[in-house]
Amino acid sequence: MKKKTKQYLTMALAITMGVGLLQGCKNNDTPKPTNPSEVQTEGSSKETQSSREEADTKLSGDVTFWHSFSQGPRLETIQKAADAFTEANPDVHMTIETFSWADFYTKWTTGLASKNVPDLSTALPNHVVEMIDVEAIKPLDDLIDRIGRDRFAKAPLEEMTVDGKCYAVPLYSHAQVMWYRKDLLEKYDLEVPTTWDELYDAATKITKGENGAVYGCSVPLGTNDMMATRYLNFYVRTAGSRLLNDDNTANLTSPEVIDGINYWVKMYKENSPKDSINFNVLDQATMYYNGTNAFDFNSGFHIGGVQTNSPDLLDQISCAPMPTVKKGDEQKGVETSNIPMVVWESSDTQDVSEAFIEFMYQPEYYIPFLRSVPVGMLPALPEIAEEKEFLEDETIKKFQREMEVISKAVGEGTAIGYENGPVPEAGLLISQGIIENMFQDIIINDVPVEEAAKAAEDKLNEQFKSLS
Amino acid sequence: MHGLKKNKVRVAGSYIYLTILALLAVFPLLWIIVSSFKSNNEMNKFPTSFFPKELTMRNYNLVFEELKFGNNMLNSLIVSFASTVLTVVIAALGAYAVVRFFPKFGKLLTQGLILAYMLPTILLAVPYSITLGQVGLLNTRIGLIIIYLSFSVPYALWLLVGFFKTVPIQIEEAASVDGANKFQIFVTVVLPIVAPGIVAVAIYTFINTWNEFLYSLVLINSRDKMTVAVALQSLQGQEILDWGVMMAASTVVVIPSVIFFMCIQKFIAGGLAAGSDK
Amino acid sequence: MKIRKKKKSPGTVLFILPTVLLFVLLLLYPVLSSVFYSFTNKHLIKTRLDMVAFENYASVLRDKEYWNALLTSSKWTLICLAGQFLIGFTAALSLERIKHGRTLFRTLLIVPWAFPTIIIALVWKYLLNGVSGFIPNLLLKLNWVSAAPQFLSNKDLVFPTLVFINVWFGFPLIMVNVLSALQTVPKELYEAARIDGAKSGQQFFYITMPQINPVITLLLILRTVWIFNNFDLIYLITGGGPAGLTKTVSIYAYEVGWGLKSLGRSSAVSILSLIFLTIVIVILLQLQKKTNKNE
Repeated sequence: MKKKTKQYLTMALAITMGVGLLQGCKNNDTPKPTNPSEVQTEGSSKETQSSREEADTKLSGDVTFWHSFSQGPRLETIQKAADAFTEANPDVHMTIETFSWADFYTKWTTGLASKNVPDLSTALPNHVVEMIDVEAIKPLDDLIDRIGRDRFAKAPLEEMTVDGKCYAVPLYSHAQVMWYRKDLLEKYDLEVPTTWDELYDAATKITKGENGAVYGCSVPLGTNDMMATRYLNFYVRTAGSRLLNDDNTANLTSPEVIDGINYWVKMYKENSPKDSINFNVLDQATMYYNGTNAFDFNSGFHIGGVQTNSPDLLDQISCAPMPTVKKGDEQKGVETSNIPMVVWESSDTQDVSEAFIEFMYQPEYYIPFLRSVPVGMLPALPEIAEEKEFLEDETIKKFQREMEVISKAVGEGTAIGYENGPVPEAGLLISQGIIENMFQDIIINDVPVEEAAKAAEDKLNEQFKSLS
Repeated sequence: MHGLKKNKVRVAGSYIYLTILALLAVFPLLWIIVSSFKSNNEMNKFPTSFFPKELTMRNYNLVFEELKFGNNMLNSLIVSFASTVLTVVIAALGAYAVVRFFPKFGKLLTQGLILAYMLPTILLAVPYSITLGQVGLLNTRIGLIIIYLSFSVPYALWLLVGFFKTVPIQIEEAASVDGANKFQIFVTVVLPIVAPGIVAVAIYTFINTWNEFLYSLVLINSRDKMTVAVALQSLQGQEILDWGVMMAASTVVVIPSVIFFMCIQKFIAGGLAAGSDK
Repeated sequence: MKIRKKKKSPGTVLFILPTVLLFVLLLLYPVLSSVFYSFTNKHLIKTRLDMVAFENYASVLRDKEYWNALLTSSKWTLICLAGQFLIGFTAALSLERIKHGRTLFRTLLIVPWAFPTIIIALVWKYLLNGVSGFIPNLLLKLNWVSAAPQFLSNKDLVFPTLVFINVWFGFPLIMVNVLSALQTVPKELYEAARIDGAKSGQQFFYITMPQINPVITLLLILRTVWIFNNFDLIYLITGGGPAGLTKTVSIYAYEVGWGLKSLGRSSAVSILSLIFLTIVIVILLQLQKKTNKNE
């Protein structure tokens, strides 16, 4: 009973805090509730009482929650939060269903046709824009304000905002950085590359020296994934250009993009296993796990992957910021993924879903969740990154430096094609395999780069027309 | 003499050929099994050696205890078994009727069924999920079983028509003179004759439904109702992939089928041949 | 014939009723809806639905990629069929010839059939991986090759490799059925032929083949449909690449239906495939009738 009360209070306070922030403390560094006991001592104002009553009367019904954390500690931490939530709200019944991201996409797209969508779910940024486009999810500005708009990093919110309405609440973030192998750099007496040219040279040196046992930099180009688009986007963004023009047409023919294509083709030919032409994200990551790839691009999830599959390598991996084109340019993050939660328009228990999202952000549930993939999932609330409880995780301690690199990159990047906000074109840019096919055409059929780029650009633009 | 020698060479050649084929056929399975007992560290060592240096049960523990694959296997068993029984009953009745009672209409019906069988599942998945949603059978094993009938019955009916054609009509006539009604004749006289065909069809159906993936993915939401094929696929879609667990899970999925095959292959062999219409 | 007429009574309807119901409920509706969608701009997740007449068909037929995919699919189906039948047949004939260990061999050879596609793709991709794969490294160790062969990315190797995997998976079914068909061929026929001095090759073409012809046709049709429509094996291994070399109609339809979410257009692709397959099957059946008559 006592525990239950505590949870009510915690939640009520969170709501109060949100309102308070909204009303007056916008530019104020309000102290945040850091742990539950602190919250409890504060939670006795009139306002809290009233919102507690409100929460009491309101929350009932069935909530189906789809998320993509289908195994291991992530699944458990979410389950714990959900259990606590239903315990605090006895009239609420939560059904949790989990799918991998790829399956999840199949589920909700076919689900929309058959009215088989959840009340609440996680989502990938590129799905969110599609969901908004077909009016499948509801704006969550009120909820964000309740939690405290200022507590969130700005970029992830902007990324989910269309016509001034924000449709998703960021749950965690990660960013693509350059992973390398300390032992290999040492062996070949190499510095960590800071430019693309340096990366190429370092990779070449390792490829030559290892003679097929290790490749310098595998370039994944498979058409059943979006990896080539991701790699091209790295180069193009650091060269100061974008894959989408400002009018949201495709750009594959500007000098920066052509340079980028040439760069990765050269890298593929010299420093990548030939098979990587068909690689998807899994094949690519596996090379880094089994120690056959020296330089890889991935997020903090790579730590968990190496830890699971090749614990022996764990001491040898590290990451650095994205290389630049010109030496001395600031190394900025390019691709950030802010994984949000969304509330579905067709749901009749939206209030419950929102309350649960709010509930999730309490440190006692949120921190264990983040720590379930340490360094992989970085907090959407920057304040959490300072928490002792978050920082004392073994892996986070061990990879402190790497986490700083990734955290910095998180703040600088966006999802591919989202540089000017969420646009549906970005979805097609990565889902159609057109850029991957372009690379394959250049490599297999010796099509001149400009010609292949023009053809792919035309094809993308033609497909963009299907959006209207 | 010459011919005998030639024959010996041929037999020896057959043994060599079959040995090579058998090695190729079994190697991937052996590899999965052996890998599933390796630690991840060893499995991801390059170059890979075939035999594990030390055996671990970690992967299997995870597969059964954390991922509850046993539950998924049970689901697959239930769904496959139920679809198989229903398919056999519907198709046997239907095929018999096509052969004996409605030859013209039956031919049309069979052709229609084959035509539908040729449509890709990807295209059918959406209308099926809509229909099931309307009748409240989405995310139920019953719904999945019903949908499985859509591809297994055409196949089964088609094969069974051939088998029923081999049943001599005189036997049935004799039975009907003895006063048996049509259903009694069907059950007591006809079915025993086509039994090998029924078994063969049942086996085909079982394998097809056991390995089915797309419908199961689209129509089932809850992990505790998922079939093994989908559970396996979702392992591959993880952000943090675990190769060892994947190998153990694959072993767990394949081995029962292999054992099943070993037990029933006598029956499969009796299969299509008898039924193909001559 | 007489019996059939006489026995037609209301009770007989009960036999066929379940099949008819199934046909109407489970097949007619989705098939017709696919036909209908193929004339609309139906979107997978949007609610729009306008009639567009033959626009989907026109745009598909105008698309050079579709024709390439159709060519690839035809080539793929033909070669895989030939491979499955060749291996299936020779394996069955060899099994017939040997005396010891027949059951053992048959059991071992049947194993690939038990693999779900996901595992087939996973295991072969892993074994054939051009860097760490067991097979390329084995070939390298045996000094059969000077560099690890890139089975899944070399433009000359990738198609044969996929065919190999398909045949690996598909031959047991053919083998088992041919084996059982062979057992139905009356032994006296062979005796008679031997007395007439027929060579074993002749025996095969003049006795065995005609006898098992119907089974073969049935298998041929079922396999043709299956291989032509099969999507996941290729998609999971190469995704249709490199450079579209292994892009079949099914993968094309997938890209249109799920990537572009144009359900209208992907329906049109499927209906076109349906027409194509029907023509192929009708030809196959005609061929079978002809050979039967020639006997």
